Amino acid sequence: MALLRKEPKPEPTEKWEAQLRKGCLELAILACLWDKRLYGLEILRGLEQNSNLVLAEGTVYPILARLKEDGLLQSEWVEADAGHPRKYYWLTAPGRQKVVSMAQFWNSFTANLNSLLKPVLNGKGRS
Amino acid sequence: MNPMTSNPLIESYFAALAAQLSDLQQAKRDEVVRELRAHLFDRLEQINVPTDDDCRTVLKAMGTPEEIARQYRMELLLNRSAWRISPWSVLRTLFRWTLTGIQGYIVFVLAMLGYTLGASFYVTALLKPFFPHNVGVFVSEGCLNLAHFPEPPPGAEILGAYYVPVAVFVGFLFTLGTTLAIRFVVRRFGKLKQKVAGMAAAA
Repeated sequence: MALLRKEPKPEPTEKWEAQLRKGCLELAILACLWDKRLYGLEILRGLEQNSNLVLAEGTVYPILARLKEDGLLQSEWVEADAGHPRKYYWLTAPGRQKVVSMAQFWNSFTANLNSLLKPVLNGKGRS
Repeated sequence: MNPMTSNPLIESYFAALAAQLSDLQQAKRDEVVRELRAHLFDRLEQINVPTDDDCRTVLKAMGTPEEIARQYRMELLLNRSAWRISPWSVLRTLFRWTLTGIQGYIVFVLAMLGYTLGASFYVTALLKPFFPHNVGVFVSEGCLNLAHFPEPPPGAEILGAYYVPVAVFVGFLFTLGTTLAIRFVVRRFGKLKQKVAGMAAAA
């Protein structure tokens, strides 16, 4: 099916940014849930405040569904006093372990990359 | 009740979403629609008197039903077959995968071969009671024959009535083995494929 559909090719840099965003989104979602139970829109708000990770809001929910299927999250519908019920998510014990190891990996990964990028950003060393 | 619950814009959006997710189990599909509806109402509640235009804006920010359904399919489908041991669901997943490239196609063909072999053993087990002289394990000059019509194959039949349970067992082994092999492959390479597909979709 993917072979048949012809979509306009995005610019290489945009594509790279989209991939990067997508890769980080999972970590960001897990991090949002570190110390509280949240429902979808609250998670989105957390992501909006701290990053520009989300392109289409609806696409956060499939990721939440998969994280739950992987056993990293648990969820429950909660009736609100006013308004409609909402589906709250929280980290399971394996989810907690996972986000810690992801955060550690992220830290060492970005530290290494940053030291590589230093000369690039400083614009030194080449004429 | 929220006045926006029966807005045709919203209804057509969620009808489209449900239709796009038709290959998901009913319960899961209902859950998805319910959750996204809750999201929409949360967004609309922030507006005092939401108009159709507000509604359009909120729906646009959520993404198209096609886009959301595609994400769900990618995130959940390969995962699902990694858990279930049902030839049918495994094959369905594999068939989707087949459409995305040569790698999936090869696995699909091999899987069909495994299931066909398994099925042919079942068929011979069914035929044995009706054609006891044509079906069985016939050995002659180092050759092995399972069935021959209309004349019996050359050589002597070695299993007799035991052929039926043996064939059922071998057929079962082929079916189970194929399913487990696909499950392994989907789990191992499907994750990779899923990531690649996810990146392509994000781009």
